[in-house]
Amino acid sequence: MSTAVASRWQNRRRQVFQSVFQTDVSQPTPQSTPCVAAPDPGHAFGGPLAPTTTTTTTTTTNPATPFAGPIFSQAATQHLSALPLPAQPRFPSLATAGDDQVTYDRAWHVVTARIALPSSATADDSFGTLPSDSQLRPPSQQATISDRDFYDALALVVHAPTLLPRATHTDDIVAWHAQQVRTHFAQHVIPLLSGCVDGEDGEPGGEASHHDKGIGARRDGGKRKGNHYERHMVMVMSSIRTLEAAFRLYFYGLGLLVRGFGRLVDGSCAEKPSADAEALAARFQRDIHALVGNSASEGLMGSVSTVLARLAGTILGIPEGENGGTGSKPTPPRPAAPTDKDLRAMAARQRLHEVVEQLHNVGLAGERFQVIFAEIMNSMMSRFVTGAYADLWNLSSPGPDGVSAAANTISRGPGSSFLSPCIMSLSDWVENHFARLSFEILSRVQPDASSSPVALSDVKTYQSLALGRLAALRISELFDIALAWPSSRGAVEDLRATITTTARRLQLTASFSRALQRRLLHPGRSTLEILRTYIAIIRTLHALDPSKVLLSHIEPSLQLYLCQREDAIRVVVTGLLSSAEEIKAARKAKEDAKRQQQGKQREAGPLVTPAMPSRTTRTPRTLRTRHNNTPVTPVTGDTRTTSAAPTSTAPTNTQPSSKLVELALLLNDPSQTRRTAPEDEGDLDWDDMNWVPDPVDAGANYKRPKSEDVIGTLISALGSEDVFIKEFASVVAGRLLGEPAKFEQELRVLDLLKRRFGEAALQNCDVMIRDVQDSRRLDAAILRARAPEVETPIRTPQAKKGSDDKDEMQYHARILSRLFWPNLDKEHFLLPKEITEYQQWYERGYERLKSKRKLAWLNQLGQARVDLELEDRTVTVECSTVEATVIYAFQDANEPGPVRRSVEELYLALQMDEDLIADALVFWAGKGVLKRLSQGVYVVVESTSSGADAAAGTPGGQGGPLASSGVLSLGDGDGEAVASARKPAGAGLSAKEQERRVMYWQYITGMLTNASTSMALAQVAMMMKMLVPDGFPWSNEELQDFLGEKVADGQLEVVGSKYKLVKK
Amino acid sequence: MEDNQNAAPGNVVPNKLGGGARKGGDQQATKRLQTELMQLMTSAAPGISAFPSADGNLLSWRATIAGPDDTPYAGLTFKLSFEFPSNYPYAPPTVLYMTPIYHPNVDFSGRICLDILKDKWTAAYNVQTVLLSLQSLLGEPNNASPLNGEAAELWDKDPALFKIKVMDRHKDLEED
Repeated sequence: MSTAVASRWQNRRRQVFQSVFQTDVSQPTPQSTPCVAAPDPGHAFGGPLAPTTTTTTTTTTNPATPFAGPIFSQAATQHLSALPLPAQPRFPSLATAGDDQVTYDRAWHVVTARIALPSSATADDSFGTLPSDSQLRPPSQQATISDRDFYDALALVVHAPTLLPRATHTDDIVAWHAQQVRTHFAQHVIPLLSGCVDGEDGEPGGEASHHDKGIGARRDGGKRKGNHYERHMVMVMSSIRTLEAAFRLYFYGLGLLVRGFGRLVDGSCAEKPSADAEALAARFQRDIHALVGNSASEGLMGSVSTVLARLAGTILGIPEGENGGTGSKPTPPRPAAPTDKDLRAMAARQRLHEVVEQLHNVGLAGERFQVIFAEIMNSMMSRFVTGAYADLWNLSSPGPDGVSAAANTISRGPGSSFLSPCIMSLSDWVENHFARLSFEILSRVQPDASSSPVALSDVKTYQSLALGRLAALRISELFDIALAWPSSRGAVEDLRATITTTARRLQLTASFSRALQRRLLHPGRSTLEILRTYIAIIRTLHALDPSKVLLSHIEPSLQLYLCQREDAIRVVVTGLLSSAEEIKAARKAKEDAKRQQQGKQREAGPLVTPAMPSRTTRTPRTLRTRHNNTPVTPVTGDTRTTSAAPTSTAPTNTQPSSKLVELALLLNDPSQTRRTAPEDEGDLDWDDMNWVPDPVDAGANYKRPKSEDVIGTLISALGSEDVFIKEFASVVAGRLLGEPAKFEQELRVLDLLKRRFGEAALQNCDVMIRDVQDSRRLDAAILRARAPEVETPIRTPQAKKGSDDKDEMQYHARILSRLFWPNLDKEHFLLPKEITEYQQWYERGYERLKSKRKLAWLNQLGQARVDLELEDRTVTVECSTVEATVIYAFQDANEPGPVRRSVEELYLALQMDEDLIADALVFWAGKGVLKRLSQGVYVVVESTSSGADAAAGTPGGQGGPLASSGVLSLGDGDGEAVASARKPAGAGLSAKEQERRVMYWQYITGMLTNASTSMALAQVAMMMKMLVPDGFPWSNEELQDFLGEKVADGQLEVVGSKYKLVKK
Repeated sequence: MEDNQNAAPGNVVPNKLGGGARKGGDQQATKRLQTELMQLMTSAAPGISAFPSADGNLLSWRATIAGPDDTPYAGLTFKLSFEFPSNYPYAPPTVLYMTPIYHPNVDFSGRICLDILKDKWTAAYNVQTVLLSLQSLLGEPNNASPLNGEAAELWDKDPALFKIKVMDRHKDLEED
């Protein structure tokens, strides 16, 4: 079976092969050429089977030449279908042939001799140079054949069936000629063509890769040597010349035949209409073109491509980029549409027309040419878009370099009044240059003038293609655009106009998210930077898409990342609470930058790094809009420019401050604080002429936000409002407890936040501020009440002479309403006795004033002013109560020599957390009051001179008189307040975590006491997940570790992979 | 006829309301119980503890009371079961001693006679207060309305025998 299939397949293959290569009609000249005619012209058609001919080359009619292609098959089959195999004996004197055959053969010979192509013997030489007209004349010996004889013979040959009915062996003269031409082309022209390409290139075989273009010497006065364009041009031109010469040769023969046919038609014996002759000529031409087009070498087409690209580039105004080397300038100029008077462009256009015309004439403008041209135009469009508009975000109406003002007034479609300058100039370029060039070239290449090669709809397509590329460019730049906001407003306008399809929106969000991940959301960026960029992104995308749908697509990754940054909310809150001075400084920095900017025009320095310093200020153009009260730029929703506060411009610092001052600026901006709630009801604003439907990719219950609302977006991105308010409260708490003075800034921010979140949400903060104000009054009242019952003023044990008044301790407290303040941990340690007495007294005073209330002291949150009287100096330090307590412990009257304490001693005396003790010791060592002797042992530096000794490890070197002179007086100890913010965040977190672990342990013991006395890990985890409010964040592994610790502590035991409480 | 027509909607409405209230109450009860558990865990009172049962049903809890030191129950622990109605806290939970206990106000099947678990219940009570009440009931039984008359008598007459009976009756529950 397989053999049957194989043979059938073989058979079919043979058929196909034969239909293509016509092996059986490979001998156009009958072998029975009469010998009388053989002597002189025989070489013109003598085949391998005519050994008698003198100069025959065996190759002329060799059917195996590679160009015995399919192009003639149609003609051949049509004319020669009935032809028998040319297996006739060479001498026609046989009786079977008869006179007719002899006559036919003679006539055939006459015709073929006349239209024969130069044989290889002579042609090889003559083709070395371009064939001259004289060479196109038929060979001299053939001239003897008169025209008359030729036409008679032609008539005989053509009408053999009727005139010579008995000539059994006839042939089609046209097919013969075509075969001749094909063979000749393969034998002679192709080597010549490849000779042209190789010879001119000078680097054999390398021409195909030379697509790089140089600047024509014609243009630039021969500044450059060895430019490729010129070389390719020469190659193309010489190839064209060669082909032209060959064509003249081929069409000479054909012309004769056609003329002969024409005469036949004129004569009475016309059987073929003359239209047929024309069709014959046209077909012949088409075949020849196909032959040339298909046989043109890669090198030649490469050269054509180079030449085309170069000329088209000049016409379209795209300078040579890659290695053309516009020597004089370091960066190539931006592409710009040439004006009508640009001589270079005109010259190039002229030249291109010529070249294309010639290429078309010699058949090189076929399909391959069109493919090449399409590729070139494609790359031209991309290069123009990227070259002309990359990093150019603020194209003002005059355009970059060459876009003339006139170009911007070109026809714009209705409704496109908001088109950005970029888009307008690009559309103009496509319409007036790109499409025009396409039209010119294609109309030359496609001869049928019936349909315009470039229709109006094509122009629209080109424009939308170009806009698509612009969109792609802007999308790739979007991250930088966001960073440069608001000076990049123009680019956003471009995007707004070009992002029209859902696919592009998707592309935008995807690409932007990638850029975010790569450039922003990594550990190398500080939270401040991320937030600052986030603000810029919010504003940019809001301008781009007021519906915020795009933003909502991008936000999740940012939010997710910000959630990992524990300090994010704190940064936001502190930014909001920036002091007036900081705002002023930021403003000033901005003004400075602006002035600088106005001095030197915006350099197109592309924002290579995502770092903030490259942020630029808003342009003068947008600045101007501040004075009139209507937005000039039709950016919807962005009314910042019209706000009453002249400082409400975008927060841009050349020197980014360490705080997110931008937020404070935004918060003070009336347009930002507006809540959207009341506007939601009015569904549609009927007067809004810029209304557009909600984007298709909007979610189901999507609500159109009205304003940009940076703060709102930011806060919602950081979690719920509750989280934010909580953090705000704790930061405010820290500030309230910290600075004793004034809270104007806090009050103002609080008022502004109230407008945003409502009164109720910020009630706690209200109470906190009132607490602090009230406690001032209360404090005064208590102190007044104390006056009559003053016993002995509390003094330091060793009151210094003369400074009694000073030594009297002042003690103030701030009384906080526990429920309204954030959780403030109570840190246990023993205060100095004097302070404790004072506290007790203060408590009594308070309880007298407010019955039924008790004070709980938060000793660690205080501040103290400490005067240290040392041997040679007095040190006054503002410090925390913890630090004051520690240094107070160094006061010892009875100890000889400078007082030394170890951490252990201090721990026993103060019952204070060792870490706090260590911190305090380091603090005092930093102040030069203490010296570290050895691990955990510190000594008082009584005099700076002795400090060296102490440091050198010789304590006790001081004499007795100096001993115990260290007198500490605690003065002005001020209430209980040091913000927990002073503690490192890590400590606070671990405290929280510790609390949580305690609570979880409660749950677990409760569970194992009541629910079931022994439980497996998974069961415990399940219960915890179900029962712990706000979710149980631990994984099973974490829980296992935790339980493992408890097992190690002896509180749990594991029985059969189940946990059990240890019975006590 | 007319009566029926008028009555029919009236019959339906309470049903509907009842159904709705039950459903809402269920969630409310769960939420409330979760909060109570949280309170119990964060501010544990000595000698008492409670936790939802191991089957994960929040409406069914187990609790443990340690006998107060100066009572006959000192050193003993008692297990209790709490079954919360779906409209908790508007109705009291059903509390039973699971550990056998000899006590004037507890019968032999563990039922408790305590006014706040019956008609004196208010929504202000919670698991912790109930447990604290039960714990104090161990030291101060209400002998005026005993469920176990013998125990009520012995409490006053013969504390030593009472103590023996208590120890006799007490039996630590095996793990279920």
